[in-house]
Amino acid sequence: MIRALRSLDWPLLATMACLIALGLVTLYAAIHQGDAALWRRQLIFLSIGFSVFLFLCFVPVRVVGLASWPFYIVALLLLAMVPLIGDVQMGARRWLDLGIMNLQPSELMKWALMLVLASWFASREADSLKDLGVALALALAPASLIIIQPDLGTTLVLLFAATALLIASGLPWRWFGIAVTLSLASLPVLWHFMHAYQKQRVLTLLDPQSDPLGAGYHVIQSTIAIGSGGLFGKGYMQGTQASLHFLPEQHTDFIFSVLAEEGGFVAAFILLLLYTTLITRILIISSRAHSRFGSLVCIGIASVFLLYIAVNIGMVSGLLPVVGLPLPFISYGGSALVTMLAALGLVMRVAIESKDHIPWQRPGSPLV
Amino acid sequence: MRKNQLESRQRFDLRMLFFFAVTPLLLGGLMLHLLQLQWTQHEKLALQANENRLNIVPVLPVRGEITDANGKGLAVNKIAYRVLLIPERVKKLDETLATLADALQWSERKQSQILKRIKSSRPDRPVLLDDKLQWLQVSPIAARLHHLSGIDVEAGSYRYYPYAELTSHLIGYLSLARKSDLDNGFLSTEFIGRTGVEKSFETYLHGTPGSQQEEVDAHGRRIAVIKRTPSIMGQQVKLALDIDVQKAASEALGERTGAVVVMDVETGQIISMLSQPGYDTNRFITGLETEQWQEWLNNPDKPLLNRATQAAYPPASTFKMLTGLAGLGQQATLATGHTQCPGYLELADRNLRCWKRTGHGDVSLHSALVHSCDVYFYKLGDQIGMGAISDEAQKWGLGEKTGIDLSPESRGIIPALRPNMMAAMNSSSSRRKHWFRGETMITAIGQGQLTTTTLQIARLAAAIANGGKVLKPQLLADSESELMHQVDVKPAHLNMIHNAMRDVVATPGGTAFWALRSAPWKMAGKTGTAQVVKMAQDDDKKGKLTAQQVLKRHKDHAWFMGYAPYDNPKVAIAVFVEHGGHGGSDAAPVAAAIIRTLAAKEAPQP
Repeated sequence: MIRALRSLDWPLLATMACLIALGLVTLYAAIHQGDAALWRRQLIFLSIGFSVFLFLCFVPVRVVGLASWPFYIVALLLLAMVPLIGDVQMGARRWLDLGIMNLQPSELMKWALMLVLASWFASREADSLKDLGVALALALAPASLIIIQPDLGTTLVLLFAATALLIASGLPWRWFGIAVTLSLASLPVLWHFMHAYQKQRVLTLLDPQSDPLGAGYHVIQSTIAIGSGGLFGKGYMQGTQASLHFLPEQHTDFIFSVLAEEGGFVAAFILLLLYTTLITRILIISSRAHSRFGSLVCIGIASVFLLYIAVNIGMVSGLLPVVGLPLPFISYGGSALVTMLAALGLVMRVAIESKDHIPWQRPGSPLV
Repeated sequence: MRKNQLESRQRFDLRMLFFFAVTPLLLGGLMLHLLQLQWTQHEKLALQANENRLNIVPVLPVRGEITDANGKGLAVNKIAYRVLLIPERVKKLDETLATLADALQWSERKQSQILKRIKSSRPDRPVLLDDKLQWLQVSPIAARLHHLSGIDVEAGSYRYYPYAELTSHLIGYLSLARKSDLDNGFLSTEFIGRTGVEKSFETYLHGTPGSQQEEVDAHGRRIAVIKRTPSIMGQQVKLALDIDVQKAASEALGERTGAVVVMDVETGQIISMLSQPGYDTNRFITGLETEQWQEWLNNPDKPLLNRATQAAYPPASTFKMLTGLAGLGQQATLATGHTQCPGYLELADRNLRCWKRTGHGDVSLHSALVHSCDVYFYKLGDQIGMGAISDEAQKWGLGEKTGIDLSPESRGIIPALRPNMMAAMNSSSSRRKHWFRGETMITAIGQGQLTTTTLQIARLAAAIANGGKVLKPQLLADSESELMHQVDVKPAHLNMIHNAMRDVVATPGGTAFWALRSAPWKMAGKTGTAQVVKMAQDDDKKGKLTAQQVLKRHKDHAWFMGYAPYDNPKVAIAVFVEHGGHGGSDAAPVAAAIIRTLAAKEAPQP
């Protein structure tokens, strides 16, 4: 037991605890005038997430590797069912009604794709066209299913995570350059297929004042909230933008504005510092991992976190278009919290194994 | 194999460096962006946050009241509630309006009018939906206000005119601010004086709006009042008017159309100014319906016309004093002599008639005034000429605006004929080639192209009474007299006129004797009867009038002007009755009623 405790990665655990604490405090401020039940529910999600985290600390990375293919296939099948029998909510068909809960298969797919790509590149490098072709097929199949839902945000997360893994797996920069060029060239085509509201979001980003009461309203209000916080903030639970409901979705996607309004730049800085620490720690664990699979999984997880953080803060501060991505550990929401804690459980397991020298490598694998 | 693995490991570590580099780069970039927002743009954004949070709502001032000289309210304020809507804060306009329509029992028409008003207003400015509501009507809305975002119920006051039709032309009416008023800094919910005293004294009456700083949430709902700057009530305006005199004049005039002006002889203060028919000024406060407005506009009795100041009519025989004074001033032989009135005067190929067919016989200036002999004045006018007549008229303030604080005001017309103008009229280039002798003679008895307003005649009566002081008519109670001209007239000449005017009333043959013989104050006066047949015939041709109206329109206008008491003049009176018939029988009794009222007020109270 002591050995098990000693083999835990304490810096990761400490950063995680700080983020969770900051998240609970901020969430309380965001909803203190509204629904106190939300806060209690977040505590329940937290305990579920922590259980998953603990469980995954005990699951050998090797097993996860083996399970990644079936996981991917199940996720893909569920995703394929969405257009056929999915529930329509807010104009998009993204959910499957499972009776007890609404499942969003694209959420599962984010992690499934990451695992399956890590598994695929664990034993090869991304420099042969054949291997790359398989990887692209693995990524594009779910991506095309998600973009028709439509869910631009999740599609981008998926493609971003896949790209990160390809880069980590040794994709020649040359090819990466070609891919970026091709993607940029395909932007007009993508624009053509975008929904009116998505186009509006992009246009609004370019000039939020063009539609101050419509699509630009939320971004303007959240920018005002952040800026009016100043260096030291208006004080805990003293934010006027938040308490007078000028902020949209202030306990989910826009919660960063509450933190930045009430805690000022100091609080925002502390949060970003914690995120930097978290991601850097995951990358350190990745670099120490004993298996290429473990390394790649960690990089995938770090990339997804980085994307969430950059897109969410960029969006609420007026740098990026509004796409619904949560701020890790801060936003209210059960599934995001549970999946993120699960991801960190995986990372923790990789860390434990690298300390315990638990071998899993098959003979002939490129990494020892 | 091992070498391969090593190379692969090295390559992987290199790629790892890429991720180690990207993370702080990306998050550091975000930090810089946040620093820019929270440090360099902090002040601007903090201000915006405050503007978000604080809403400045105007607090309308209470309008100053208008009273008569005895403090009786002519335009007062009554407490009532109003419902306002701020378009940009309304979530579901249709639902909200339906709720309000239900609670306030709006007609379909009113609903569509309101919708139109909302659509045409600025989204951030309150729109007045309903006004003059009692608490019982608004309480269901007030109770549901937190469900009705963008709706506000406000306690306030509305204008009420207790003597609406009696004072309509003098007091005037209000209406909601128009677009041009908004440019002048008025709020769209403010009422502004459009005519009469309400307009002339707008700057005194209006008051200064205050403001209320409110904390509001994102839905525009008021959370708290932060600061309140109270509005300043408009000033009271006390008129010289005596509403009892006005009432007496109106009752004496009855259903007839016409105008009455009673003026203080020494100060020029207006004690009564009536124009009939009037209209209900209270109708403007609730929002005047187009039909009502059209009805007033097309009414042949022209209720919107202020007959006391805007309408000009031939003064008829009330003008004869001026012809007489002009004659005396010119030392015309006729003015001090006698002539014969056979009932007509031959001029070229036609006859000018005297009103008395049988003639007045031997007449002097005095008897010609007392009996209102036309032939005498035809002859006097012919002797002194048009120039002398018009000069005299202008000296006494005819043909110019009186300067009263009411607009629009008519100047009236004085045909001014001097040698150079005569030349212009006789020149072939002029459209009108000749000024005929006969026209001068017609003008001498106050007919023809000559027109004056009732107010001008009242002022003329005051000037004759006070020794030639032509005063500016004053509306306010404590205003001092303002001399516009001092007429250069010999006291002896004026005395002759005074005596003649006294005998018009005092002697049994005088034209106003029967009407005024029992008045409590001894009066001096002059009647007038203006022919209108020619004018009325023009109207008939347009086919606008009913048979009865045509008959009425053939009747002459009746005038009376005078002052009282004649030995110590206090008030001057002018009465004009449109198509009234005869000055003596139709206009003079109105003056009698006014004198009775004034005398009763002066008598010691038992």
